[in-house]
Amino acid sequence: MTNSIDEFEDASVFMVIGSNTTANHPLISARIINAVKQRGAKLILCDPRCIDLASIASIHIRHKIGSDVALINGFMNIILNKELEDKAFIKERTENFEKMAEVVKKYTPDYVAGITGIEPELLVKAAELYASSKRSMIVYAMGITQHITGTDNVKSCANLAMLTGNIGTPSSGVNPLRGQNNVQGACDMGALPNVYSGYQPVADLFVRNKFEKQWGVDKLPDGKGLTVIEMGQEIEKGNIKALYIMGENPFISDPDAKHMHRALKKLELLIVQDIFPSSTSEFAHVILPAACFAERGGTYTNTERRVQLSHEALPPLKGTLPDWKIICEISKRAGFPMDYKDPSEIMDEINITTPSYSGITYERLKKGWGLSWPCTSKDHPGTKFLHQGKFTRGRGLFHVIEYIPPAELPDAEYPFILTTGRLRPHFHTGTMTRRTAILDREAPAPVLDINPEDAKALRVRNGDQIIIESRRGALKLAVNITLDVPKGVVFSTFHFKEKNINELTLCALDPVAGIPEYKNCAVSIRRS
Amino acid sequence: MKQLKKEKLAPFLKEMNKERTVYCPQSVDEKDIILAPLGKGEITDEACKTSISFKSILFPQKEEINLFTRGGVEKTLDKNKTAVFGVRTCDLRSMEFVDNFMSRNQMKDPFYFAKRDNIIIMALACNGPLSETCFCTDTGASPFLYKGFDLQFFDAGAFYIVESGSSSGDKIIESDYFIDADPKDEETLKKIKDYSIKAEMQAPGVSNAIEWLKEKTPEPEFWEDLATACIACGGCSYVCPTCTCFNIFDSPSNRGFLRFRTWDTCMYEGFSRETSGHNPRGALGSRLARRYLHKIKEDPANYGISGCVGCGRCSDACPVGLGMIEIIRQINKI
Repeated sequence: MTNSIDEFEDASVFMVIGSNTTANHPLISARIINAVKQRGAKLILCDPRCIDLASIASIHIRHKIGSDVALINGFMNIILNKELEDKAFIKERTENFEKMAEVVKKYTPDYVAGITGIEPELLVKAAELYASSKRSMIVYAMGITQHITGTDNVKSCANLAMLTGNIGTPSSGVNPLRGQNNVQGACDMGALPNVYSGYQPVADLFVRNKFEKQWGVDKLPDGKGLTVIEMGQEIEKGNIKALYIMGENPFISDPDAKHMHRALKKLELLIVQDIFPSSTSEFAHVILPAACFAERGGTYTNTERRVQLSHEALPPLKGTLPDWKIICEISKRAGFPMDYKDPSEIMDEINITTPSYSGITYERLKKGWGLSWPCTSKDHPGTKFLHQGKFTRGRGLFHVIEYIPPAELPDAEYPFILTTGRLRPHFHTGTMTRRTAILDREAPAPVLDINPEDAKALRVRNGDQIIIESRRGALKLAVNITLDVPKGVVFSTFHFKEKNINELTLCALDPVAGIPEYKNCAVSIRRS
Repeated sequence: MKQLKKEKLAPFLKEMNKERTVYCPQSVDEKDIILAPLGKGEITDEACKTSISFKSILFPQKEEINLFTRGGVEKTLDKNKTAVFGVRTCDLRSMEFVDNFMSRNQMKDPFYFAKRDNIIIMALACNGPLSETCFCTDTGASPFLYKGFDLQFFDAGAFYIVESGSSSGDKIIESDYFIDADPKDEETLKKIKDYSIKAEMQAPGVSNAIEWLKEKTPEPEFWEDLATACIACGGCSYVCPTCTCFNIFDSPSNRGFLRFRTWDTCMYEGFSRETSGHNPRGALGSRLARRYLHKIKEDPANYGISGCVGCGRCSDACPVGLGMIEIIRQINKI
């Protein structure tokens, strides 16, 4: 997030796009709801589904799945035509505006209506509302990123924010809501194929030299690694023979599960490190039992970039170790001793190697309620919102982005679009929440949300079993007939290993980020 | 009436801990104050409300109730001797409520009473509100007790004035830790009581609402509107000292199959879902209505007392700004 969570309290306009906030980030959702209901803030909701937030939205745009780039280009076209852009901000803070504006000319309300299915009048109202305030916040999540155009979608959000000068000041910015308590921290620490901690590029010689010196090694690799989906593909080709998975359950969470099944089977060595057995650990040659969050100390970095300290509440169960200790032991046996006494010594190293974390010390964390990066020195107070006065790269770059349709469009054989997401009681593949009796009771089995018109045409009643099939797999599911999904679209979740919806999803990737298009694949449905 | 010097508190509790497990408020990491067995943190005399209520001692979040083996079924009753120091009046009024509930229709809940019958209660009266969400006086109660304790402590600055309320209490204050009360203590105690009962607290208007609810009830739309922000986390029930709903589940262990009960809450969708899949309280608004009306409409009607004791924990815990204070305010606005 460029903003901090408290800034939701003062925003005037929220544009929530591709985030079922109430189900996935309920506390942030509550702030939006209270802002709308108690203060009269406005909500522009862009979501094909009628999610909970729809009940309080000023404008609800139910655009076609995968048409986000066209939608946002359409907003920008309207803003430019009505001269609602922030000319001073564009001039002083950004570059490449003209090229972007040139391309956006094509995206007239009528043209965009043809792609998104949204009436031109509604597009105009939404664009005007977003541009009407200097406290407009864009909020997005996986509905923006899980597309083959995920990177384009994110850049489009940034374009829109820069066009109206809605970034770099309090309560105005672009806010991706992170879907896990420490996914921000994992990325910050370089658990990505192309960067070291703090997003320092692997390709940068200066950066490599710094880490070589710190770790006392020569010649760190200079090439980019693979993303998780690419690893699956390389296993199938025989280029990867061993895989070490920590705290992840890709057999259920990755698209096209049959493909993942073949890949995991083919490995000569699979090591799985986790707190519970999972569907993935069934393939493992070695299982390393890890301690859970309550059994170890360390820090988490949340969605607002806030690094927070966590204490050991219970000693680890016999036979388990905190993840960091397991990694140290493996490293020692592999010939590179790591002798950290405790997590604070690891933080000391982070302070030395990672400029944005250099002022975040255990000593300071113990005293307060966490620090948000960038925090570049021991007396730096942390950063509430990003890009104040100047962007990290200098000038904000407008990207020229054209609409590209989703990878797999519905056709006569597979006439429906399947889109997937999460439910409030469950977390991801349910390895933790489905072991908790009361949480599992909240949502014990998956259902397929289907529009009443489609249900009528298929002659199915609520609760009936249907067969849903894609080019990759088929499942039997009970239907939940609801107006929450538009005609032609069905929705289900990936929490249930016994009915793994990812047997159907498509492994089409965003070319830059490598994220799969979970939000769109073509399926057929027939009565069971 | 006796006196206990404040510096004698820790030695006294430690002495008692030799024969029974003593719970008291302790500060951990200089931040949180928790009600836990001695030794978890530093004993504190800071006037505070623990975030989890005293009910967690007699009705724990998770407790073992049965053990199934080839030999049969056995009830696992926790009859360990315990004592608790520092329980506040609101929590003890809630215990009276839970006692009634757990022994309705001449049927005693054996797991609850195994612990209840073996605990010594050392209450700590409040000299005033402990937080800005305290509203016990608004529910018609006082910040100190007239009965229902073994000992009751009043904070008189450098020492506590101690009253006994039972024969166990009488026995405890015979020990050397306690000294005879000063003749002036009677007057001091009166002052503390007078002051605390008049101390200004939140006054959401519980008695007004209870009176209004006798005849009327808010429309479903009222609850649906409040429910927009509710995330059904169940936190309000978990921290509520009078909420006693539980769920049962079985789990294998090396001793045999264990049956546990855990806290549950009517705020969850699955709580009232029927086997057919039909849910009479499928809408979140109707569940919110059920929970709050239970406390301030059904309980007064059925038992003659409010199910809300005014501790304000639901208002402290609610991450979206609901809780009893807000609900009462909204009802009083109708």
